Amino acid sequence: MPMQRTQVLFLVKFFAILVAAYLLIAWNPVNDHVIVPFTEGVARVSGALLQGIGQPVNVTGTVIRSSRFGVNINNGCNGVEAMLILLASIVAFPASLKARAIGLALGAVCVQLLNAIRIVTLYLLGAYQPRLFDMFHTAVWQILVILSAIAFFLIWSARVAPPRLATRG
Amino acid sequence: MPRLDWRLAVRAFAGFLAGLAVWVFLSPLYNRAIAAAAEKTLRLFERPAVTQLRPAEDNYVTVDRRDFDPRSKRPGIALHDLTFNIILLTALFAASKRPFSDRNIGGFLAAAAILALTHVLGLVVEVMSIYVAKLGMWSTVHYSNVERNVWGVANHFYRLVLMYAIAFALWWVFRDPATAEVAKKKKRR
Repeated sequence: MPMQRTQVLFLVKFFAILVAAYLLIAWNPVNDHVIVPFTEGVARVSGALLQGIGQPVNVTGTVIRSSRFGVNINNGCNGVEAMLILLASIVAFPASLKARAIGLALGAVCVQLLNAIRIVTLYLLGAYQPRLFDMFHTAVWQILVILSAIAFFLIWSARVAPPRLATRG
Repeated sequence: MPRLDWRLAVRAFAGFLAGLAVWVFLSPLYNRAIAAAAEKTLRLFERPAVTQLRPAEDNYVTVDRRDFDPRSKRPGIALHDLTFNIILLTALFAASKRPFSDRNIGGFLAAAAILALTHVLGLVVEVMSIYVAKLGMWSTVHYSNVERNVWGVANHFYRLVLMYAIAFALWWVFRDPATAEVAKKKKRR
């Protein structure tokens, strides 16, 4: 079945927004003044969670470290990549400004909650099951976080979709 | 739009596990094919054609050139990092209401074939990003700053977000529309 014009338009907008958003966050001033401080915040929250379950970790900048193991949270591990997918898909989808704003805010919270769990489990794997760390770091958690962003988008879009788009959804 | 209930989540998770298993066990074979195709692609644009991509242990590929000093170290690329979006594609197709329908399987195979092409291009971009920036004086002499920026940004963009966006877009294009038709009929009742 050929794609509807609205579906093609969605994909074109999706990639255009994705490229624009990527170029924005990759720009050094934005990276240094927004992404790095944000990643430090992610590290602090994840470090607090680890301390909460009795792990003797210290957080310095984007690094969570103990005598057993250390993780440095870089781009790709701070959930920003999943938030970009969420941003591009929600903004590209035809919906009201209010619906988009709510979707983006809730989606970002969901992605970051899951990402905090990712960092905590990756630290624990690195400290106690180092053989599994690479597999979970590269493939398992990365895909689960992106999948959760896509799942959030599908749930959100099913609620706000105009009738014409809901027919091929 | 598909209704995201627990059955859908279970199907997606089963697809995720299946994709993970396939990716882990077929990677050694698949990586050889991707390396060979990327080498041919790179050589199309080289005069003389000197790049050699040699599959190595642990799913790495070693980047070699016939014009390099044989004593110098060869850079390696972890192919795993470029190809694991197949797991995302498998999970998305598995979430379909009828995951084993001809239409869904056909869509998945078409999407996977295109995804494989993007893996070849991803490896080409990765090799170029090494050539333009990571080989010291050789890179400085042979490539301009513009080339360094273009290939570096392309490689970072692919790794950070494009590889997931491609899997999502391929699913969006090739997914089984029957699922949506069922949802539409339910809505009409």
